[in-house]
Amino acid sequence: MKMILSIAWRNIWRNKTRSWVVIGSILVGIWSILFMLSFSYGLITTYVDNTIRYQSSHIQIHNPDWKEDQEVEFTLENTESVLQYINNQSYQSSATQRTLVNGMVRSSRGARGAMIKGIHSEKEGQVSHIDQKIVEGKYFTENKKNEIIIAQKLAERLKLKIRKKLVLQFQNAQGDIVAGSFRIIGLFSTANTLYDESFVMIKQTDLNRLLVLPNASHEIAVFLDDSKELAQVKSDIQNQFPHLLIEDYKEISPDANLYESQMEVSHRIFITIFMLALIFGIINTMLMAVLERNKELGMLMALGMNKTRVFFMIVFETLMLGIIALPFGLILSWLSITYFGKHGVDLSAFSDGMEQFGMSTLIKSYIPTELYFSLSTATVFTALLASIYPAIKAINLKPIEAMRKI
Amino acid sequence: MEIIKATGIHKTYNPDKIPVHALRGVDLGIEKGEFTAIVGPSGSGKTTLLNIIGGLDTPDKGSIIINNTDISSFKDNEMINFRRDNIGFVFQAYNLIPVLTAKENVEFVMVLQNRNLKERTERAEELLNAVDLGDKMDKRPSELSGGQQQRVAVARALASNPTFVLADEPTANLDSTTTANLLDMMLELNQKEKMTFVFSTHDQRVIDRARRVITLVDGKIV
Ligand SMILES: Nc1ncnc2c1ncn2[C@@H]1O[C@H](COP(=O)(O)OP(=O)(O)OP(=O)(O)O)[C@@H](O)[C@H]1O
Ligand SMILES: [Mg+2]
Repeated sequence: MKMILSIAWRNIWRNKTRSWVVIGSILVGIWSILFMLSFSYGLITTYVDNTIRYQSSHIQIHNPDWKEDQEVEFTLENTESVLQYINNQSYQSSATQRTLVNGMVRSSRGARGAMIKGIHSEKEGQVSHIDQKIVEGKYFTENKKNEIIIAQKLAERLKLKIRKKLVLQFQNAQGDIVAGSFRIIGLFSTANTLYDESFVMIKQTDLNRLLVLPNASHEIAVFLDDSKELAQVKSDIQNQFPHLLIEDYKEISPDANLYESQMEVSHRIFITIFMLALIFGIINTMLMAVLERNKELGMLMALGMNKTRVFFMIVFETLMLGIIALPFGLILSWLSITYFGKHGVDLSAFSDGMEQFGMSTLIKSYIPTELYFSLSTATVFTALLASIYPAIKAINLKPIEAMRKI
Repeated sequence: MEIIKATGIHKTYNPDKIPVHALRGVDLGIEKGEFTAIVGPSGSGKTTLLNIIGGLDTPDKGSIIINNTDISSFKDNEMINFRRDNIGFVFQAYNLIPVLTAKENVEFVMVLQNRNLKERTERAEELLNAVDLGDKMDKRPSELSGGQQQRVAVARALASNPTFVLADEPTANLDSTTTANLLDMMLELNQKEKMTFVFSTHDQRVIDRARRVITLVDGKIV
C-alpha cells in the first residue's frame, strides 16, 4: 500500500501543469460554491434574525381562540403567572405582554386599518427592540397619557408629522365603537416597511382603559438571548401551561421558516451542481492520464501488479488531487467569507425592492461551520466517484495490447 | 527437469477477418539453467511465443506447463500473481517505472510479493551491484542511458527470484558495446544465480553467445 501511495503521489507530479490545473479548478470550485452560499446564508440569516429581533420574537403566547379570530374578548387569563414563570427560569430571556385590537388610524387626510398594540413601554423595548428603531422623535416617556408611536411610512401615507394628533377607532369588549385621540411622539422604521405599516403602538394602560378591560393582555412575547434554547423553552412553557397556544417564530412567520427550508434545498442543489461539474472535469483529466500511460500500466500488470493495486493507484492519484486542493480552497473561502462577513457587500444599487420585504441590502457573508465539513466530504466523495471510471479503464487494459501500441 | 513445457501451441490473430497464423504447432521444452535464444525472421512468431510462455497471452490450442502448473486455466488475477512469482520480464522498451529510482524499480516486484524492507533493500543492492550499477541506485530511469536502463530491467527481472527470465529483444535498442555488456552480465547471472534465460533476438552477436538456439520460421520450430 505504501508503495502504491508513493507511486501515485509521484505520478501526479509527472505532469505538473495538468495536476495544478485540476487542483486549481477544484480549489476555485470549492471557493466559489462556499462564497456563493455564504451570501445566500448571510441574506437569509439576517432576514430571519431581523424577523425574530424586531417582529415575532422567539416565542409568542396567545389564547388559542384569539388566534382563530382576533376578538377582544379572547384574552390571556394568567398573564402574570406566565411572565413570572418565564422570568424564574435559568435561561436568559425577556418577556412582555401586549393588548391587541384591530382598528382604524385616522388623520384629517385619510384613514388606514392597523393593529393597535397596547404595550408595556419598558419591557417592550427589551423584547421587540423597537426603541432602537425610532428614527424621529422619541420612545415613550413614563407617565403621559395618549401617546402613540407609528411607522414613518404610515405617517407619510396619512400625511402626518411628529407631534400631530391622530384618532384611533375600534370596538371595545362590549361591542361599542370607541375612539381616542393620540399624539405622535415618535416614528419608527425597521428593515421591513410592510410590516411596520401594519401596526401602531400605544401604552397598554391607555388601550385597556378604552377597551374597558383593566388587566387584559392578548399576547406574551418572549425573546431569548440564545436561540439554541428555543425548542427546550417552548416545550417547558407548553408543559407548564397546557391550555395556552405557544408558537415559535417559524409558526408565527411562516416566511422565515420557508426561507430557511428553501435555503437548505437550494444549497443542496448548488452543491450537487458543483459536484457534477467537478466530476466531469476530473474524469476527463484522469482518463487522459490513464490513456497516455497505457504502456506503463500494461508493463506494471505484466510484472505482476494485480488489478486491485492498479485500481487503487488510480483512485489514490485522483483523491490526492482533491485532498491537495481542499485545504487551500477552505482557507481561501474562510478568509473571504470572514472578510465579507465583517465588511459586507452593499447591494443597495441593485435592490430597490428588497428593503420593503425586510431584506437587508448590506449582505454579510456567513457560513455555518458544518458546511465546511459537508463540502469537504462532498469534494472527497466527488474525487472518489470521478476516479472510478478511469480506474476501471486502467484495469481493463490487456498488458500485451497496451504495450504493443506505439 | 523441464521448467517450461509447451506442447502443440497454435495461435491465430484475427481469426474472423484476415487470419494470421502466428504459431502453428510449437513444441518446446526448456530446462533449468538454460541460456536460450529464440531466433527467426521478422514476423516468424518470436514475440507471440514469448508472450504465451510468459502468460501474457493465451494460445488457441496447446498447453503450457510451467513448474508442473498448467497456466492455461488461470483467471486474470491468478495469472498476474503467477507472473509476479515465477517470471521475470525484460522488454524491449518501456521497462521501468519512470517515477521510481533504479533501486525502487528493482524493489518494486518484491514489494508486490510483500517481502520485508530489509530483504528488499539487500537484494536490490546486491543485484544492482551485480549489473554494475552500484553507483546509480538513486537515479531515475530518465537519468540513465538505454543500456543502463536495460541492466536495471535485468536486475529487476531477477529480484523476484523467478523460475526463469523472459526477454523479448532486450538489446534491440542498444549499440554493440552496450549489447555485449548486457550479455556478459546476463551470462554471469545465468552462471552465478543459476537463472534460466529465454530471449528472442535478431542480432547475430547475441545468437553467437547463446548456449542453445531455437529457430522459428513461419510459426514453426525448424
Ligand atoms: N495483435 C496482432 N494482431 C494481428 N496480427 C499480429 C498481432 N501480433 C502479431 N501479429 C502477426 O503475427 C505474426 C507473428 O508476429 P510476432 O510479433 O510474433 O513476430 P516476431 O517474430 O516477434 O517479429 P519481429 O521479429 O518483427 O518482432 C506476424 O505476422 C504479425 O504481423
Ligand atoms: Mg517481436
